[in-house]
Amino acid sequence: MAVDTAPAPATPAALLDEKRTRKPIGGAVLAVIGAVIGGFALGKLGDRSVTFTLNLTLPDASWTVPAAPTVAILAALAAAAGILVAIGVPTRWFKLIMAAGATCLALSLLCWAMSQEGVVFRIESILAGALFLSLPYMFGALSGVVCERSGVINIGIEGQFLMGAFFGVLVASITGNSYAGILGAMIAGSLLTLLLAALATRYQVNQVVTGVILNLLALGFTGFMYDQLKKTPGYNNPHGVSNISSWLESIGLGFLGDIPVIGPVLFRQSIFVYVGLGLVAVIWFLLYRTRWGLRTRAVGEHPAAADSMGVNVNRLRFWNVAAAGLISGFGGAFFTIANNLAFNKNMTAGLGFVALAVMIVGRWNPLGVLAGALIFGFTTQVSRYLDTAGNSIIPGEFLQMLPYAVTLVVVAGLIGKAKAPAADGVPYNPGDK
Amino acid sequence: MSNDAQAPATDKSEPGPKKAPFGVVFLRYMTEANSVMVTVYSLLMAFVIGAILLIVSDEYTRSTFTYFFSRPQDAVYASRDIIYESYLAVFEGAILNLNTLDRFAAGTAELGDLLRPISETLLYATPLIFTGLAVGLAFRAGLFNIGAQGQLIFGMMGALIIGFSLDLPPIVHIPLAVAAGAIAGAAFGAVPGVLKATTGAHEVISSIMLNNIAALFLVWALSTSFLHSDTKTDLVSKSPDASATLPKLLAWLNPSLRVNLALIIGIAAAVLVWWLLSKSTFGYRIRAVGFNEHASQTAGMNIGRTYVTTMGTAGGLAGLAGAALALGVGSTGITTNTALEYGFDGITVALLGRANPAGIVAAALLFGALKAGALSAQPDVPVDISILLQAIIVLFIAAPALVRAILHLRIPRGGLVTLEAKGW
Repeated sequence: MAVDTAPAPATPAALLDEKRTRKPIGGAVLAVIGAVIGGFALGKLGDRSVTFTLNLTLPDASWTVPAAPTVAILAALAAAAGILVAIGVPTRWFKLIMAAGATCLALSLLCWAMSQEGVVFRIESILAGALFLSLPYMFGALSGVVCERSGVINIGIEGQFLMGAFFGVLVASITGNSYAGILGAMIAGSLLTLLLAALATRYQVNQVVTGVILNLLALGFTGFMYDQLKKTPGYNNPHGVSNISSWLESIGLGFLGDIPVIGPVLFRQSIFVYVGLGLVAVIWFLLYRTRWGLRTRAVGEHPAAADSMGVNVNRLRFWNVAAAGLISGFGGAFFTIANNLAFNKNMTAGLGFVALAVMIVGRWNPLGVLAGALIFGFTTQVSRYLDTAGNSIIPGEFLQMLPYAVTLVVVAGLIGKAKAPAADGVPYNPGDK
Repeated sequence: MSNDAQAPATDKSEPGPKKAPFGVVFLRYMTEANSVMVTVYSLLMAFVIGAILLIVSDEYTRSTFTYFFSRPQDAVYASRDIIYESYLAVFEGAILNLNTLDRFAAGTAELGDLLRPISETLLYATPLIFTGLAVGLAFRAGLFNIGAQGQLIFGMMGALIIGFSLDLPPIVHIPLAVAAGAIAGAAFGAVPGVLKATTGAHEVISSIMLNNIAALFLVWALSTSFLHSDTKTDLVSKSPDASATLPKLLAWLNPSLRVNLALIIGIAAAVLVWWLLSKSTFGYRIRAVGFNEHASQTAGMNIGRTYVTTMGTAGGLAGLAGAALALGVGSTGITTNTALEYGFDGITVALLGRANPAGIVAAALLFGALKAGALSAQPDVPVDISILLQAIIVLFIAAPALVRAILHLRIPRGGLVTLEAKGW
C-alpha cells in the first residue's frame, strides 16, 4: 500500500503548501464497489422499503423509507469518497473521507439487508447489543495490552476466556452468588496467566508456543471438568447479573433509561458494560499517567534500559501478566454470567483470537482498543441480527463468518503499520546484556 | 551457569580407555535434561497430573476425602480404583482389550477382534501424522501453522468432491481424489503465507481465523444440494464412490478393522518430508529461513516466497489428512464432526515430535492411541482427557527449563532443546 503524496496543483495559492494524499487503487476500488451496489440497488430492490424503529423507548414510532434510493444514495456517497481519494485530497482530510466512505458503504449494505420483508431496523436494540457484544473483545484486548506493553505476548486469551467462563459459572452455582462467580472467573483466568508469566519470565520459554499450548490446556481442562461435573447436576447453573436500570430506578434516575437511543445504549446495560468502559479509562490512565505505566512501557520497549534505571524487569512483567489474567478472566465470565448461559465446551469459539486482532487494531492503546472493540461488536451484532431475522440473501454461516473475516482483513491491512512494543515477546535475561 | 555441571562430565567421558560403568552412565543420562529424558518425564508427569484431576473431579472419590482423617483407606482405595479403571479403559480401547485376550485364549474370539484396538489406534493416528507434519514442516521455517484444522477441512471437501463426482477405475480415482485433497488444503494453507509475505499479518491470527471460516464454510457446504446426501436428511455429505474409497489394510482378517491405505500414505509422506527437509534445496531454504531470516535474505533467498511455499506445502499435508478422512469413512459420508480436532492435535504432535518427521510419526501413534482410547472409554472417562493430557505433555516439552527445575535435572552439554515461533 504505497501512499503517493504529490504536490497540489498550483492554482489556489492557499493550497500550495498543503500536502495531498492520493490512493488511486484503493479509491478506485471503493468507487467501483459503490457504483456497482448503487446500480444494483436501483435495478433490483424495486419498491421494497426499510423500516427504522426505536423499539425500546418509543415503541410506536417508526420511519419507513424506500430502500432503492436510500441504498443508492449511500452507495453513491461511498463512490464519491472513493473518487475523491483517487484524485487526491488534503492529507488532513484523508482519514475522515476514507472513514466516511467506508461507513456509507457499510450502511448501504446494511440497509439492503434490512430491506427484506419482515425485517425491521431496531436502532436501539442493535446499538445496545453492539456495545454489549463488544465486551469480550474489550476485556481480551485490554488484557493483551497490559501483557504486551510489558513485553510478554499473550496468545492465550482464548484459554483465559474459557477458564473464566467455566469457573465463573461453577463458583456462581456453588455459592449461588453471581458476583462470587465473577471473582472466581477472574482468579481462574489469572491462574492461567500466572503459568504464562512464570514460563515467560523465569523459564524464558517461547511465548507464542506457550500461549497456544495454554489455549489447548484450557480447552482440554474445561472440557474434561465439564464432562466430569455433568454427572452431578447443579454445577452448571448460572445466575445472570442484573442490569443497571433497576439500580438507576432505585435511586430515582430511572428517567435516564427513557431517553431515546442514549437511554437503552448507556443506561439500561448490564454492569459488565460499565466495568468494561471504566477499565478502558483506568488502564489508559495507569499506562500513560502513572509511574507504574511508565515503567511498564519502558520494560516493553527497552528492558535493558529499564533495568539499568533500577526496574526489576522480570518481576514487573510477572505481576503485570498475572494481573492481566484477572481482566481476561472477567471477560470469560461474560460468556456465561453476563449472558446467563450455562457453560459449554469451546463456547468462546475463537473470540479470544479476535480480541488479539482488536488489540492490534487499537495499536496497543486502551482507547484504540475501545474503538476497535466497538467496530467488532457492531459487526457481530449486525451479523447475529440478520441471522436471527431470517435473512435469505446471505446464508447464516456466511454472516457468522463476518467477525473472523473482518479480523483477517484488519490484521492484514494494519499490522504492517501498527508497531508492536519493541521488546514484545523477547524474554529478558539480566545476565546476558 | 552450566560450568559446574560440565566439569565432571568432561572428566568422565574425555579420557578414552577408562569408561564409566554402565550403571553410572545410565544414571547420569537419566538425571540430565536431554531431549529424550525430558520427553519421558513430560509423559510421566502428565499422567500423574491427569490422575490427580481424575481424583479431584470424580464425585464419589471426592466424597471419600471429606472423611479422610477418620477412614483414610476409603480415599486411598477410591483414588486407586478411579485411576486404575480410567487408565485401563483408555489402554483397552487403544492397545489391547484384556477381556478379548481371555476370550482369544479360550478360543471364542478371533485374531481380528484382538487387533481391533490397535487398528483403531492406527486409524486415529493416520490423520495426526499428516497434520503433525503440516505443523512441523512450517515450524522448521519459523512459522507457527495453527491452521491445520481449516486446511484439513478444505482437503476433506476437495477429496470428497472428486471422490463422488467422477467415474473412474480405482487405480486412477484414488490418487486423483487424494491429490485433490492435497491441492485444496495447499490452496487454503497458502493464504496465511501470502498474507504474511505481503502484509506481515501474523500467521497465528490469520490461520486461526481461517479455521473458523473453514468450519462455518463446511456447515454451509454440507447444506448445499451439491454436497448434501441424496438419501439422508441430517447434515451429511454424499459418500465417495467405491472406486475412490481407500482400501482397508486388514479387511482379510476382519472387515470391521478400519485402518486403511492412508496409513501407508502417511508414512510415505513422513519419509518424503524427511527427504525434503534434509536433502532438497527447498528444505534447505526452509531451514535457513527458520534459523535466521535476515541472514537468508542477505544470502539471496526470497523470504516471502519461502513463506508462501512452506505454508502451501504444509496445507497440502493437512489436506491429505482431510483426504484420508473423506475417502476412509466409506459409505457414511462426512459430517461437521468428521474432522474432530485433528488439526489442533497436529500442533501437539509436532511439538512432541520436535518437528522432525520420525518423531512426528511416533508422537502421532502415541496421541492416536490416546484418542482411540479416550473415544472408546467415553461415557466413563471424559473424552477431553486426551486433549488435556496432550496439552500437559507438550507444555512440559515446550518448557524443558520447567521440567529441569521441577525434577532438579542437570543441563546437558548442548543446552536445552526447545522450539521457537516468532512474535509480531
